[in-house]
Amino acid sequence: MGVTKEQVEASLTSKLNPVHLEVIDTSGGCGASFAVEIVSEEFEGKRLLERHRMVNAALEEEMKEIHALSIKKAQTPQQWNPTPQDSPTTATTSTTDA
Amino acid sequence: MALRSIKTPSVTPTAAVSSSVINKPQSHRFVSKPSASLAVHNLHQPISITRSNLLPKLKPSSPAAKFRCSASAALTPQLRDTLEKLVNSEKVVLFMKGTRDFPMCGFSNTVVQILKNLNVPFEDVNILENEMLRQGLKEYSNWPTFPQLYIGGEFFGGCDITLEAFQSGELQEVVERAICS
Repeated sequence: MGVTKEQVEASLTSKLNPVHLEVIDTSGGCGASFAVEIVSEEFEGKRLLERHRMVNAALEEEMKEIHALSIKKAQTPQQWNPTPQDSPTTATTSTTDA
Repeated sequence: MALRSIKTPSVTPTAAVSSSVINKPQSHRFVSKPSASLAVHNLHQPISITRSNLLPKLKPSSPAAKFRCSASAALTPQLRDTLEKLVNSEKVVLFMKGTRDFPMCGFSNTVVQILKNLNVPFEDVNILENEMLRQGLKEYSNWPTFPQLYIGGEFFGGCDITLEAFQSGELQEVVERAICS
């Protein structure tokens, strides 16, 4: 029984359309506990609590079997990768290059 | 605390058994006389009665069913009332597994340590001691797991959010605002 990492990934991918997603099974194999890092446009303009609620809602079915879900990161693409990829709009003097 | 009042489940037994008895001969009659419109009419009638009787019959057993996670049945209006009083009983209320002195879960322990570190007075409520409270609170907060931290009567978050807010300094601000209000 339990939920697989793939199930969690599939649900999050289909519902939140993430640009970055990392699901780690922290249960030691029984599928009852996961850690999630997720970056999605859908989080734009939402507080952390709302973002977590979105993740919880996306995993509503899985949560019936998951004992613990740790959301390590729930960010917008901008927060996750602050350096603009090729948008000329921002003239920030960033020291990091892509 | 007001916890005691929600310990008594409201069990309302219904006459579901008798209605299912009524239902059987009806459907039997339908089979023997398929053309009679009266029989069809009678068939529909008992079915709807049976359904409405079945629902309240199933409900009382659900708070006791430990692994029932789906929403709807756990949060009665009375329970909602009690929870509202409970989350407002202190400026900071932590619903957790175990107690502040004996946390029964690592996530609960993390939040206890954070609150202790901030030197915040808080009320700890052990949700392992009351299954109705545990299920009802999931719905009330619209949050599937524990711990659940309430600040100023508002749901603040679970372990991850509390930890992140603690690290960013936001938690301290929110707590101070709530305590001073």
